[in-house]
Amino acid sequence: MSSVAEQPPDLEGVTHRLHPLTPVAYAGRVIGLVLAFVILGHLDTSNSSGQASGTSAGQATLVTVSILGALTVITLLRGTVALMTTQYGLEAGEFRIDSGLLQRQSKRVRLDRLQSVDVIQPLTARVLGLAELRLSTAGTERASLRVRYIAYGHAQALRAELLGRSAGIGPGVAEAPEHPLITIQPGSLLAAVLLELVSWRVLLLLAGPALAVAAANASSGPHPAATGVGIGLFVYGLFIVAHFIWRRVTTLWDFTVAESPDGLRIRRGLLATSAQTVPFDRIQALYLHQPMLFRPFGWALVRMNVAGYVGREVSEQTVLLPVAPRAFAEWLVSRVVGVDVAQVAVTRPPRRARFRAPLWWRAEGTGSDEGIFVTRHGVFSRSIEAVPHQRTQSVHMTAGPWSRALGLASVHLDSTRGPVKIRARFRDAHEARRILDLQAERARQARRRASAPAPLPNGAPLPDGTALSTVADGGAGGTGPTP
Amino acid sequence: MRRAVLLVLGIPFVGAAAALLYNWSAVACDVAIGVGFLALLSGWVIIGRNWHSWGYAERADDLLVTHGAMFKKLVVVPYGRMQLVDVEAGPVERLFGVVKVKLHTAAATTDARVLGLVPEDAVALRDRLRALGEARAAGL
Repeated sequence: MSSVAEQPPDLEGVTHRLHPLTPVAYAGRVIGLVLAFVILGHLDTSNSSGQASGTSAGQATLVTVSILGALTVITLLRGTVALMTTQYGLEAGEFRIDSGLLQRQSKRVRLDRLQSVDVIQPLTARVLGLAELRLSTAGTERASLRVRYIAYGHAQALRAELLGRSAGIGPGVAEAPEHPLITIQPGSLLAAVLLELVSWRVLLLLAGPALAVAAANASSGPHPAATGVGIGLFVYGLFIVAHFIWRRVTTLWDFTVAESPDGLRIRRGLLATSAQTVPFDRIQALYLHQPMLFRPFGWALVRMNVAGYVGREVSEQTVLLPVAPRAFAEWLVSRVVGVDVAQVAVTRPPRRARFRAPLWWRAEGTGSDEGIFVTRHGVFSRSIEAVPHQRTQSVHMTAGPWSRALGLASVHLDSTRGPVKIRARFRDAHEARRILDLQAERARQARRRASAPAPLPNGAPLPDGTALSTVADGGAGGTGPTP
Repeated sequence: MRRAVLLVLGIPFVGAAAALLYNWSAVACDVAIGVGFLALLSGWVIIGRNWHSWGYAERADDLLVTHGAMFKKLVVVPYGRMQLVDVEAGPVERLFGVVKVKLHTAAATTDARVLGLVPEDAVALRDRLRALGEARAAGL
């Protein structure tokens, strides 16, 4: 997939500058707006050419055009300033980027603290052959470091270089070879997004207003105001849902997971594309989720916690697999954590937990082995969470009044910010305390072991081709099994 | 401290309620005073129990923090996971001359606070924790 095999960039001590086309890429979104507006305005004038309100419409157009023009100039200027003032390079194991005209700032990231490296191409940048390089570190969004924009081939070479140095392989490494594990076909992605959406919350959002209007009309005759509000709410709900689907489908389009020595590589995107590379040992926790309507098809999705993935795009960034056969999803989770998740024995809470959680206590489960801690829950939508011991941050235990009356308690393993929450709920209070102490001890030992970096884990073998080919019939396809 | 806050805010509130009701009926006024007194008393007791429930223990490799009388919580924070240690004091805490020590890890859900320490103790605790954290620091 790597198109241009560029020379490994000469980074040490040399300062680099951004690509000369940076200002255009900066202004890309505004230019798109202007274009859309011009086209729409053209359609509008051709439709209403004979109307009396031509002059006022013309004035409105003039105002909008001038506002958009000003925006374009401002973003172009911003881009030019960024182009003229930004310099980056490597210095004693640190990646450094200096920027700013009036307020100079210098950001540095230690390569051994690097959490992930993403190459992102917004639409305009893609057209121009540029890309943004984003280095995530553990911390807030501000702590992540963005180099925008540089040539795409250069970004790829830079990524390989940084990841190579981060893993301690040394300078001058070429892009690590990768082999693809799975590509999600458009049909199954669309199906998955729609099926995932069907949940009580969305049904309520859409059906709530409709039901309310129907009830109001039935009880006291037609009620125009209530009907209007109801329809308004319904349309608004519809709009939210449509936007969500659009966003999901375009960002997760052509989703490919590949494995390379420097980590998992995730490529996705329809208009704006993104290639994330996350080293295996930077994935903090994982969960395998089966929304209610995935289960008839035997599908599952996988999401992950990665330190430094916070902010606006987090709900897409943390997707490790939008849809796949369950067997493959389980294999992938096991591959990342290095232990076969299905082999970890899981136990239920004690029977008296039914007074605390009437129906769903049966679906709760907790188990662990030498390497990982596993929880599962959910009656209709099922999920399994897994966290390696060396990745747990802290452990805590809670018990409310009602739980305590029943002699129950819950144990939580704290992971970095992300979609995965690991909770062993409704355990016997003594057992919970044992789990707490055991996890604290295991995490301590795992940290001690982790001081010497272990070789890449060898997960269980990929489930044989049958599982993959059955889904290929249903629309999803694996692009070839792995050894 | 919370008891003081309770009294400072609670007694005028009960008084005001009683005064308002006095114009309406004297019995209601008496009832209001009675209920208010009981509420304050139970608040006093609950705060006492809550205060007793706070505790921390420095172990060889981790810090144990516990609190909560009704909703119990026990947190284990390994020294190697601590990212930073804060010493904080809000306005009311400053009035009473106490501070709290807060521990942060890379996880946002870690809720480890030690409340109501004398400033000297808090600073000593922070320095100890920081030294231990540096000695055992582990990467993410």
